[in-house]
Amino acid sequence: MDLQQRLRSTFVEALGLGEGVDVENLKYREIEEWDSVGHMALVAAIEDEFDVQFDTDQVIDMSSFKVALDMLRVLGAGD
Amino acid sequence: MSLLGDGARLVDAADGTELAGEDLRTRVAGLAAELSALPVGVVFARTAVDVPSVLRYLGAFTAGRPVALLDAGQDREVLLALVAAFRPAAVLGADGDAPDGYRPGEVGGPAWVREAADGVEPHPDLAVLLPTSGSTGNPKFVRLSRAAVLSNAEAIAEVLDVDAAEVAPTSLPLHYSYGMSVLNSHLLRGATVVVEATGVMGRPFWQAVADHKITSLAGVPYHYEMLKRLRFDPAKYPSLRTITQAGGKLREDLVTEFNDKMVAAGGRMFVMYGQTEAAPRMATVPAGKLAEKLGSAGPALPGGAFAIRTEDGAETTEPGVVGEVLYRGPNVMMGYAESEAELADGDSRGGVLETGDLGRLDEDGYLFITGRLKRIGKVFGNRVNLDDLEQLVRASGLDTGVVAAVPAGDKVVVWLEDRGADTRKAVARELAERLHMHVSGFDVREVDALPLLASGKVDYRSLEGRA
Repeated sequence: MDLQQRLRSTFVEALGLGEGVDVENLKYREIEEWDSVGHMALVAAIEDEFDVQFDTDQVIDMSSFKVALDMLRVLGAGD
Repeated sequence: MSLLGDGARLVDAADGTELAGEDLRTRVAGLAAELSALPVGVVFARTAVDVPSVLRYLGAFTAGRPVALLDAGQDREVLLALVAAFRPAAVLGADGDAPDGYRPGEVGGPAWVREAADGVEPHPDLAVLLPTSGSTGNPKFVRLSRAAVLSNAEAIAEVLDVDAAEVAPTSLPLHYSYGMSVLNSHLLRGATVVVEATGVMGRPFWQAVADHKITSLAGVPYHYEMLKRLRFDPAKYPSLRTITQAGGKLREDLVTEFNDKMVAAGGRMFVMYGQTEAAPRMATVPAGKLAEKLGSAGPALPGGAFAIRTEDGAETTEPGVVGEVLYRGPNVMMGYAESEAELADGDSRGGVLETGDLGRLDEDGYLFITGRLKRIGKVFGNRVNLDDLEQLVRASGLDTGVVAAVPAGDKVVVWLEDRGADTRKAVARELAERLHMHVSGFDVREVDALPLLASGKVDYRSLEGRA
């Protein structure tokens, strides 16, 4: 599975997303599932899945699926 | 007495606009006049974290019009059930088609206005109605008098030393009693409230902390879990010198960690105890006593008192005796209301609140909570009756078999006998949807067979040990 697909399933699992959600275009607080509580669960799940640690700025700047994906790429995760 | 002290200021973090002094008073008075023109009855205010919601609340309070604060994100069907049960004069901030008996109108924004002029006159002391959090049964409000709301706001401001220089963000929903009390206690002392909707997990929140020199932050236990995850460092925010915590017991290691951080940065932390039924604050640990009295909920607020009621019904303040915590004070609710008729009722409590919490006092009068009389869990700070929650699962139409729910910190663990991942996920999703709480608050697990007591009842204590 490539990075994007792995991140996609991490989002679906951590946020409890149903089918038909356009995960790749999701933005923070755009849907009920991705509220502040969801964000905490999501960040923890991404850190576990990709064995990375985000700093304060990264956690609060992770405002969309695309931003999260870019962050993981910069960190060289999943290589 | 008004909720707006001299100097009270509202700042909209979204665009930086301010509302203060005469402008603020004029806006609130204008809304109060509009509300006074409505037919008899309470007013429902659909409340989001935004300036119009704050103004609607202040307008109703100023007009002496009892106002029920409702989550703007609530399902339409839940809202309509409440409208049918309480027949409000208007539903402020309403969108969508008006239900039968209501017409669309404008009262400080879009509203539904009741067509019939007749209705029950609410009791003259009644000021604020708050939904009992996490209620899974019939719609029910806590009835708070004007005197209870004002005296509690004043007592909180006193123990937290809130003055006109303080700048507090709305880090909690305003329909939640803790969020309402942050607003009340700051406006009353002429302080500033920054209305910010994204919360501590968003960049805009921390931008607002810097831009508006925010001085305090209020959170329930899950906020502190978030701040820990964010590796919150108060040294990075020189204006932020007070943090407060309520809404359930925070792990003692986190109390110590955050208290140490704040003290090192020249600030302070307050741990508090309350219930919506007490408007809501009952106790606060003085900041300087937090380390010494770790695990305590604090002494009663000025004007209040605790007693412990033992199983034989006797009351005591003797140190070390465990029993149900009773609170007496001017902030205790008038009672509950489940229908329009009950809105006319006077005070049914006589200033005494049976908290349903088990606890003991120490030799200095500090309260220590040890448990609950009823089976109550908390999901991200919201109280949930676990028996009701089990009933909700059984009535869901999902093939769940036997269900047992136990509290686990800020979550609830729901045990199902021999059910696969799909069913467990569906149960979590159903609970999240029905109770309007995040799905990660429901940890649905599988067990071969639920442990039973000799009586044949579920052995909840053993399950709690596993949760």
